[in-house]
Amino acid sequence: MNNNALVMEISSDEVSSEVAVLKITGFLDFSGIAMLSGFFGKITAENKNYLIVDLAGVEMICSAALGEFMGYRKKLADKGGNLVFAGLAGAIRSKLTLLGANKIFSFYHDVRGAINAYKWDYKKQSKSITVSFPPFLKLVPPVRQLVSRLARQNGYSTKDAFRIETIVDEVCNNAVEHGLGDPGSEIVLRLSIDKEKVELNVTNQSDPEKISTLRELIKPAVQSDHVGDDDKRGRGLALIRMLSNNMDVKITERGTSVHVVKLREEQQ
Amino acid sequence: MSVAFPYTIGVKLQSDPDVIPAMRKFISEALQVSGFSAKFAFRTEIIVDAVCNNAIIYGNESNADSEVEVSCKVHEDRVEVVVKDRGGSVENIERLKEAVNCSKPEGPLADDSEPAGMGLEIVKLLSETIELDVDENNLTSIRVVRKREDTA
Repeated sequence: MNNNALVMEISSDEVSSEVAVLKITGFLDFSGIAMLSGFFGKITAENKNYLIVDLAGVEMICSAALGEFMGYRKKLADKGGNLVFAGLAGAIRSKLTLLGANKIFSFYHDVRGAINAYKWDYKKQSKSITVSFPPFLKLVPPVRQLVSRLARQNGYSTKDAFRIETIVDEVCNNAVEHGLGDPGSEIVLRLSIDKEKVELNVTNQSDPEKISTLRELIKPAVQSDHVGDDDKRGRGLALIRMLSNNMDVKITERGTSVHVVKLREEQQ
Repeated sequence: MSVAFPYTIGVKLQSDPDVIPAMRKFISEALQVSGFSAKFAFRTEIIVDAVCNNAIIYGNESNADSEVEVSCKVHEDRVEVVVKDRGGSVENIERLKEAVNCSKPEGPLADDSEPAGMGLEIVKLLSETIELDVDENNLTSIRVVRKREDTA
């Protein structure tokens, strides 16, 4: 068999009933258009509206094939789907970019990246990360930076990311200040992020000596975002309440849990 | 309160390589606020990056819903990084065992395009010890120890 021979196959890995992965290897020139159209027909017949074209093994794509991809992408987009490219090798990627294809198609490093993007964009699936750390104030800045980076990386504006960062800072500082200070205890932050909102859940072990003070402290902040001028305590919680869309604090003898929801305000 | 050694920070992340840059920075910054030098922190970042990429790509394969667990125990004189994944295929585990158990590279790195090859060679160069543990359910855990070599 010629090394450059064109081979196409639909991946048997079932990602979702709506997603098809078409793997292409070899030279995709004019003679391959009919084969490509045939696969598009199969994918349409299976009612799959999101097509990931794995081009990792492709050595050349002719402009006619690119036109075919554009036409099929339009059909899928009309049905609420998409056609994206994955695994583009350097030279092919450069050529497609020169042709402006990157303005029409989304490029992903590999099929997995394209699947993750599908889950994020179309299934509105959230991503989550859990961080645990001991109650040291010095570790709060790295934690807030982590959350801020993840927010910006997932398309949140700098302003939104900064507000989320501020919330994390306040909640974690409170956990350190009012929670059990034992270096063996831990603060656990769970971040869940989707296209529309960020949810934070911060838990820490309670300090029996501080529980009653803490309960008093959260009363005005939870009930109102107004804090008196002389009332320095509780300002952090008032700030969180002001910056977030929902805040819920639970205090038990075992631990304190703060749940914050922050809706995305700006689209980039 | 300043940090008290030893302490442990843990991160559980989904198998999404896009999360790794933010996570490695987090560990690096935690080390720097704990008095480790920027150089030490950056080299630890490289270790975390390589081991986590292997865990996501080969350990958890394409299963984006599987988690990778990273634990970083920070001592005054060293850091111990443990990364756990779901283990992946038998072939990938064998390849990983081979990569971990072969001797430390000397001189320039080999031109190795094998998965779990180049990354672990760099990890070996930057670390004191590297150990692999695979349990009966194929859950894989890599433990890397890096000793402090300078003061901040």
